[in-house]
Amino acid sequence: MPERTVVIASRTGLHARPAKIFVEAAARQGTPVRIRVGDGKPVPAHSILAVLSLGATHGTEVTLDADGPDADAALDSLAQLLARDLDADE
Amino acid sequence: MPDTAPLPLDPRAVLLDASAADRDNAIRQCGRALVAVGAVEEPYVETMIERERSISTYVGEGVAIPHGTLAAKEAVHHDAVCVLRFPGGVDWGGERVTVCVGIAARGDGHVRLLAELAQILLDPDRVHALREATRVEEVVHLLQPTKEETT
Repeated sequence: MPERTVVIASRTGLHARPAKIFVEAAARQGTPVRIRVGDGKPVPAHSILAVLSLGATHGTEVTLDADGPDADAALDSLAQLLARDLDADE
Repeated sequence: MPDTAPLPLDPRAVLLDASAADRDNAIRQCGRALVAVGAVEEPYVETMIERERSISTYVGEGVAIPHGTLAAKEAVHHDAVCVLRFPGGVDWGGERVTVCVGIAARGDGHVRLLAELAQILLDPDRVHALREATRVEEVVHLLQPTKEETT
């Protein structure tokens, strides 16, 4: 299954605004994307509670995975999103 | 996985039968509950409303988790959560909220608190129990980490 590993760039971590932006973007993908921290259990990237439950702070390494023909495009766009400081996008 | 510790919920910060005219009023009541247990100073409350206007803290299943902005960190004395139930429902930008879990955290503590809370709210049985609990102690108990996690 295609994967992307990326470090959370948002200053305040993956919650509030950055989490919302990420979750909404994940929901727009044509394919279900999952997110995990390290060897943790992958959770659906389109669920705000699931994403918050990861407790990912600034600098946490997360891994995204997805399956299907659209997987690579979806993973690239979501990984790029996490690599940006989403708190700065006011 | 983040470390799990009991959520800092003072029984005095649990209200089973609150009612609010609107979202801002519900958030102010949460803020007052956090002030009442000595967790935050008054200015924190307005930043909870600010945060909500900038981004909704609605997380689904009729639950919202209002918290203040980073700007109000000095107004926080210690980490705390409060639970206010609104059986009549509160309009939350088109969603109907019946449970508010207000959060105050020092420094980066909010990410850990949110993670613990999210793990609890992801369990539909616990959310149901939280909605149906008839005693404050039940609510306090429901917000403790599950036995499997406290190894």
